[in-house]
Amino acid sequence: MSLTRELMSALRARLGSASPLPPPPLAPAIAPPSRVFPSPATRNAFAVEASEHTTALVGIGAVGTRYATDVVLQFQAELAVAHEAVAAELPPGWAEEHGLLGLKSRVGSHREFLLRPDLGRRLDSESLARLEERAAKDVDVQLILADGLSAVACMGSGLALMEALARECGSRGWRLGTPLVARYARVWLQDEIGQVVRARVAAILLGERPGLGTGDGLSAYLVYEPRIGKTDGDRNMMSNIHPRGVPPPQAARRLALLVAAMLEQRRSGVSLDLGALGAELGEAASTGYRAPQRRERLVHVGEPGGPGRPGGPGEQGEPPAQHQYSKPGPAPGIPHRKEPRR
Amino acid sequence: MQLKATIRGRTYAFSSVKEVLGRSNPPKSGDDLAGVSAREAVERVAARAVLAELTLAELRENPVVPYEEDELTRLVEDSLDPQAYAAIRDLTVGQLREWLLEPGTTGALIRSISPGLTPEMAAAVCKLMSNLDLMVAGARCEVVVRANSTLGLPGRMSSRIQPNHPTDSVQGILCSTREGLSYGCGDAVIGVNPATDTPESTAEILRALHDLRVRNQIPTQHCVLSHVTVQMKALELGCPMDLMFQSLAGSERANRAFGISVGLMDEASELMRARTTNQGPNFMYFETGQGSALSSEAHHGADQVTMEARCYGFARRYQPFLVNTVVGFIGPEYLESGRQITRAGLEDHFMGKLLGLPMGCDACFTYHADMSQDELESLKVLLGAAGCAYLMSLPVGDDIMLNYQSSSFHDIPSVRALLGKRPTPEFDAWLHEREIMDGLSPGPRFGDPEVIR
Repeated sequence: MSLTRELMSALRARLGSASPLPPPPLAPAIAPPSRVFPSPATRNAFAVEASEHTTALVGIGAVGTRYATDVVLQFQAELAVAHEAVAAELPPGWAEEHGLLGLKSRVGSHREFLLRPDLGRRLDSESLARLEERAAKDVDVQLILADGLSAVACMGSGLALMEALARECGSRGWRLGTPLVARYARVWLQDEIGQVVRARVAAILLGERPGLGTGDGLSAYLVYEPRIGKTDGDRNMMSNIHPRGVPPPQAARRLALLVAAMLEQRRSGVSLDLGALGAELGEAASTGYRAPQRRERLVHVGEPGGPGRPGGPGEQGEPPAQHQYSKPGPAPGIPHRKEPRR
Repeated sequence: MQLKATIRGRTYAFSSVKEVLGRSNPPKSGDDLAGVSAREAVERVAARAVLAELTLAELRENPVVPYEEDELTRLVEDSLDPQAYAAIRDLTVGQLREWLLEPGTTGALIRSISPGLTPEMAAAVCKLMSNLDLMVAGARCEVVVRANSTLGLPGRMSSRIQPNHPTDSVQGILCSTREGLSYGCGDAVIGVNPATDTPESTAEILRALHDLRVRNQIPTQHCVLSHVTVQMKALELGCPMDLMFQSLAGSERANRAFGISVGLMDEASELMRARTTNQGPNFMYFETGQGSALSSEAHHGADQVTMEARCYGFARRYQPFLVNTVVGFIGPEYLESGRQITRAGLEDHFMGKLLGLPMGCDACFTYHADMSQDELESLKVLLGAAGCAYLMSLPVGDDIMLNYQSSSFHDIPSVRALLGKRPTPEFDAWLHEREIMDGLSPGPRFGDPEVIR
């Protein structure tokens, strides 16, 4: 036997044949772990103070270095809401049911929509023919509803925004185009549509990229003299349109002011002068503004507002105040989910 | 120069080094979008076989954007260290990979050849490496920098607190910052992406963070990530600024879309050298990310890994304190899935370190990318094990202004404890003094934001 073999067998003998770990102790009674807050008083003071200034989830404490279970569940619910909004698609026939002319971009599937922004910016040939044949031409304003990155938002606040904006435009005497809804649409699809119907201004209202817990936000992009080849610098936009951000009726009034400015100044984008409109437009005048949102508590075991588990989270895990802004309303329907994400 | 390889009787011929670099990449949706990726799996291996036999001299002679057309190519070419280059010029890319993995190759040796490497060389060797290769070689690189604290020492992993707020509420920003500090985060930087890009709001946030840092004697640095021209105006308003930030891209044209040039960055860094409130010597902070050149149609037909490496060729001119690849923010049209985002994070970390930069990573996803929270948490551990200098940290990883998912305040102490990593030595001592951490374990005031006033 080689020296190595001898050493190995001596080592094995020394380690013995018994189980490598001693038997565990009898399980003691395990008390529910307490979160690592120094005292409920200071925790609550911070959470209350923070909730006045931010919707960030702060003052949430920890178990060891990780989240408490109710924080995990709230987080997972918010993530699921965002993912469902991205995965949702406009159901077949939805356009007709709502009296809209339905169009589609050159994208053939939801996955392709995410991977090929170029295809989402042009109409497929069938849609182009339908638009040429059935839509009103030489209009002042062409409104386009679109799924964008959230069909949930399109079907939710989208319709309300479109109707409110149509009323605002109508009351100003502008000639409106045939109401349209576009599937698998990116912002720049408004250029081709507007060009075909010879609109002076095109406005596309589309679902924006969801954030954690929010899948129902819309953005609106406006462009004067829509033509293929317009760039982002030629557009004006408003984001965060939904009931907890800028509500649709308010957004519609501000968008109509933008349209009016474009028609008057015959331009849009960075060169559009909004100086005179600053006060009326409010936040819409500045670029990139996002009104603060409220964070809803999403997870309730049992019915919302029902009795909690006795001796449960109230003792040690009462969620911070900013979770408890409001009871969730009736769950917005998330119709026609596509297959589970790959 | 041999640009052909044969696999199982079929010969694959490539027309240029740039094409070989593109076809060699592991699958990325952005390379598909650009039309530069391999058309099939075997072609990818054939391209790698060609790449492995190219010499580093041949790569230097074939930059993906010509010298005459691009100031970044000129910058790299004109500032290459002749002695370091002479030491490696005859190695093939395959040999460089093996040299990086050899047991005798120390961090100091890698540092000695780094100034002789072009970005194309770093990208090329990256394409021959598996994820674990990238981690092993990345962990070996030695990059240590200093501002108010010392970043990148062995056994250390730092973090940026990113307390963004949708309306730049200073009170809201301070709430998130205090929370983050109480979890042991923020030793790399407390850095805010502002919603409003004006000198006044930049200065206001900088003053508030500076006051917090001074009041609590925190050995870290602060930064507001507005456009560099806005920060220059803020400096002229006389506000404190520890780090100056800018996003960089990999070609002159792509940088023009970002509103910057080498000349502008030279001017900015000179102004910062004169005015910075940090103790130095490093004071610049850059962010990069695969896909940015393609998104402004300024990729010159090159793949996104190579274009990313060229950002590092730009960044190293300024000896930055932090460089950070924002790896999953750009969206699924460039990095589609958890697999692609994971790969890109490890690639960027390795290439940046190899080129001498203190690389951190914003490991993240947008909600329309196909990446799960579990995959994201795994990536943070991989990056930590690969020696990543720092990760981001936000409340629950949720950026309430930019709407994407990154690492959380809770993730930083968790990854540190798993891997036995500590924050910067200065910050480590401060955490101990404030009873936030007790070595690698939570201290009595852990998670208590009231400990910071």
